Amino acid sequence: MAILQVKNLTKRFGGLVACDNVSIDLEEGEIVGLIGPNGAGKTTLFNCVAGFYPFDSGQVIFEGQDITLLPADRICHLGIARTFQVVKTFKDMTVLENLMVGGFVRSLSTRKVYREALEILDFTGLAEKKNMRGSALTMADKKRLEMARSLMTQPRLLMLDEAMAGLNQKETQEALEVIRRLHEKKITLLLVEHVMEVIMPISHRVVVLDYGKKIAEDVPEKIIDNEEVIKAYLGEKYHAARRKN
Amino acid sequence: MDSQKGNWGKILFLVVIAAFLLIFPALFTLPFPQHIMIMIFLYATLAQSWNIIGGYAGQISLGHAVYFGAGAYTSTLLLMKWGVSPWLGMLAGAGLAVGLSQIIGYPCFRLAGHYFAIATIAIGEITQIGMVNWKGGGGAVGLYLPILEESFANFEFHTTKVPYYYIALGITAITFFVTYLIERSWLGFYFRAIKGDLDAARSLGINIPKYKSIALAISAFFTAVCGTFYAQYVLFIDPESVLPLMLSILICLVAILGGVATVWGPFLGALVLVPLSEFTRTYLGGGGKAIDLMIYGALIVLIARFQAEGFMGWIKKLR
Repeated sequence: MAILQVKNLTKRFGGLVACDNVSIDLEEGEIVGLIGPNGAGKTTLFNCVAGFYPFDSGQVIFEGQDITLLPADRICHLGIARTFQVVKTFKDMTVLENLMVGGFVRSLSTRKVYREALEILDFTGLAEKKNMRGSALTMADKKRLEMARSLMTQPRLLMLDEAMAGLNQKETQEALEVIRRLHEKKITLLLVEHVMEVIMPISHRVVVLDYGKKIAEDVPEKIIDNEEVIKAYLGEKYHAARRKN
Repeated sequence: MDSQKGNWGKILFLVVIAAFLLIFPALFTLPFPQHIMIMIFLYATLAQSWNIIGGYAGQISLGHAVYFGAGAYTSTLLLMKWGVSPWLGMLAGAGLAVGLSQIIGYPCFRLAGHYFAIATIAIGEITQIGMVNWKGGGGAVGLYLPILEESFANFEFHTTKVPYYYIALGITAITFFVTYLIERSWLGFYFRAIKGDLDAARSLGINIPKYKSIALAISAFFTAVCGTFYAQYVLFIDPESVLPLMLSILICLVAILGGVATVWGPFLGALVLVPLSEFTRTYLGGGGKAIDLMIYGALIVLIARFQAEGFMGWIKKLR
């Protein structure tokens, strides 16, 4: 059964159609990559699903429940968590406190949330930095914190918005390792990435957006040979040149 | 082990302070030092109330005099018109302040950052002008509380300040204890998250309007309690003394100088600023009425430049 169904979602910013009639289904436990060139509408789609933007038409269904246009905090309660492309760390709070904020959705007991935070800190490899202030972290650690904090809400669907952008080789591998372990925990993952080579090896399925439209949806091996996708990423000229050969 | 030791040290420190505060009136029997302590308690409590919404939740209110005035006027008018006990009046005033805070918060919380502060200033000014022109509430002349027999039930004492001292100490202790509990509970985390980043807070399931309202309601409640205490202590209120913009600003300054979003910051702020104000007023009074405010101003500039976290910032560094 599909855990998340996005049906014909359209979002306009004035005259610009940022998401044009997009439909996506996510199966439970799946890792789906959402890719596309800059400005393709990936983050907009994300924001619409997570309740951050009201959209113009369409429907979002999570675990059989219609969550269309519910506010973001309600959606989090229902079991969808997200991270932000531009990290939004609570700068004046320690890493541990940052995590604990997320835990209170499931329990109001400080003691219980504290214990869970310690577990997630171990899980994401942030345990040594738990008493550092959010503002003192490196970009890689902030991204990691973003993911750890969203895990505290015990999501069944986790949407990561460019969780690996700007990380070096080693940091990317570490992030991928965490994602793999989340998959083992049966959490459904929707990953927005700009960089193809990061997302291809771990995704079961890849959805490609361009100018707000879904132009392709397939297993990664087929996506890299998809004509529409190559055109979108490299432009008509390269596409034409490739054809001649 | 270290944290265990640290805890015991902390507890011992608190016990010493509490014991000192409890026997203070016996050590300093003159009215002036007792008065200074009462004012320290009053401002510490006001600053702590402000700290909940302004410090933890980061919503800078410059209209807290409204809630202070609500407390002072409600208990006084109830006492004068219907002879209602000031203790009940205190609760009624706090209840009214909570109601007002929700009416004020509903539209104002939609405003971001500085616009929220500006809106609260406007509401404070409107309230003051309204009370100046409301004849039934004493108007610009103000209200003299009826002089009743000295007793705890009447909340009036004329021959000694000691009972006022203990009542103020009690109110301060309760407010600080509640703040301590808030800081350690989900409320404290949610307030700080709202201050930190609204989008991140929403993504973590925090209903922002709801928690801003809760913070403001708690803040208004304790501010109004202080208002009633002030009325019973001074036995005279008018819009100039309980509703001025300057009071709203002072409340906020005490908290900021002491250190926002910390339990002890407001107390430290009051401990430094109230004696400063009282002594400069006593020794430099008369013509130099504003000298205490000039010293305040200089302190704020220094704090803003060198120690943005207030006095608590220094203490944290020392530890």
